[in-house]
Amino acid sequence: MKENNNRLGWLFASPYLIYSLVFFLIPLVWSFYLSFTNWDLIAPEYDFVGFDNFAKALKSPGVHAAFWVTYKFMMVFVPLVIVLSLVVSVLVHSLPRLKSLFLIGFFLPYLSSGVVSALIVKGLLSFNSPVNTALRKIGINIDWLGTSWSALLIVGMIMAWKFTGYYALILTSGLESIDHEVYEAAAIDGVTGRQRFWKITLPLLYPALYTTLILAFGVTFGIFTEVYQLTGGGPNNATNTWQMEIYSQAFKNLQAGYASAVALLASVATFISIFIIRKLLEKWGARNGWV
Amino acid sequence: MVGSKRSRKSSLAIRYIIAGVLLLVMVYPYLYMVLNSFADWTQVDRKLIPSSYTLKSYTWLFTGGETGITRPWLGAFVNSIIVSLLSTFLMMMFGVMVAYALSKLKWRGRDTVNNFILFHMFFPAIILLIPSFLIIQKLGWYDTYWALIIPKGVSLWAIFMYTNFFKAVPSVFIEAAKLDGARDFQILYKIMMPMSKSITSVVFLFLLMERWTELLWDMIMVRSDGMLTLNVLLSQMFGPYGSYPGPLYAGSVLLSLPIIILFIIFGKNFQKGMQVSLK
Repeated sequence: MKENNNRLGWLFASPYLIYSLVFFLIPLVWSFYLSFTNWDLIAPEYDFVGFDNFAKALKSPGVHAAFWVTYKFMMVFVPLVIVLSLVVSVLVHSLPRLKSLFLIGFFLPYLSSGVVSALIVKGLLSFNSPVNTALRKIGINIDWLGTSWSALLIVGMIMAWKFTGYYALILTSGLESIDHEVYEAAAIDGVTGRQRFWKITLPLLYPALYTTLILAFGVTFGIFTEVYQLTGGGPNNATNTWQMEIYSQAFKNLQAGYASAVALLASVATFISIFIIRKLLEKWGARNGWV
Repeated sequence: MVGSKRSRKSSLAIRYIIAGVLLLVMVYPYLYMVLNSFADWTQVDRKLIPSSYTLKSYTWLFTGGETGITRPWLGAFVNSIIVSLLSTFLMMMFGVMVAYALSKLKWRGRDTVNNFILFHMFFPAIILLIPSFLIIQKLGWYDTYWALIIPKGVSLWAIFMYTNFFKAVPSVFIEAAKLDGARDFQILYKIMMPMSKSITSVVFLFLLMERWTELLWDMIMVRSDGMLTLNVLLSQMFGPYGSYPGPLYAGSVLLSLPIIILFIIFGKNFQKGMQVSLK
């Protein structure tokens, strides 16, 4: 293509350009501006308060909770979802028939609403539910959503339930791109079973696995619906995610200025964490000679 | 290797059983939802598989039962359809347009825009929530369809997917069409779109379901009953319907209906498209 399409290029890209100006750049600048004010979302007047919002946020228990809860979710969600999706993809991949039927079935939770999932889990964990009735018979009596550790665990499990099918799809297409001859050659050398998985499948699957890991880590910074619906961030801030904290400060406590400062801190925490996680994952892959 | 055939056969059967059980565990909760929406009220959330059934939850949902307060379930359902379809349509249309510019047109500034999109994609969206709310108010869109459709009319993910896909389409096709006098819009809709059918069904399904199940944005941007989407209405009823789980399950079935329908329509294309789009 020798001709230049300057005008046409800008014209075709214009929907994105307008969108990113109105719903990305302007809000971004505005957010910085708001974080130095004490605005309450409604009143026409407000004052500049310098770094007060940030100072307040750094001392607030809600923000501390949001910071740590993110990593706690990570520790529940990431291993669970990665192991589950690996199991599902390896298992389904080995089936000669009904492969797509299985994959689509596992994918169903990803497409359904977090509100619906939350409702079902709430029902399954209510006091007189079949699950709790059975558990009480063997002496286990837990208020699942009213206890800190179990509330965290439950929300982490709901997220894993939701994302397993999606990640399994990514991993399956990774598995399918592995050449069959590699396995045959390995079989001749006597590599089978578990060794085959660790020495051949996993290294060749690493690119797909890397994608899923990055996606999974990313998910933990954006949990809202399930928490909002099930625990409201409680009990005692045990499930208070960044999104939950920002939502409650801005739209419940009407502290838009302060919430903007919290959102800024959340973004910084997210940026740094994701950066470190990427570096660690790359190092891990390189050390094992997978990249 | 004696007897390996039989052991392979039985190991295959075991794998099918494990996969089946795993699938049942993952999908059972939705079955539980459907069963409970039809269950007799004394059995809702009491049994894994209820033994007697009634339509009471559904009639209650639309009449308000003894509370006498009806909530706009049907209206919210219609709102959800309007909002999701229009948003998704815009996301697809703009996605295709922008992707064409980024992959098949040569223009000054293209690389800059490309890098900017990558930067935008990896930016934590939460920081934009409060000012976006204010922009919607300034535009006079608060509590209108505009607030639910226009800001959700561009998807970076769709742009990204189509850009990658279009890059793989040989430019020969486009040049041939140009020699025949085709304009760029025609090339886009007569050549690029038909060629990307497989990923279009995946992109469509993803975008539509994501839009259909959006909570935070739809919750903040509208206030009046007539504007609520179904997902938000269901979410709001958790408290008020706390002692009426049956109707809540009926509402959930209503909310999940489109997924099931879409799956029946797109099921076949889906896996193929998924394979193409993940590569």
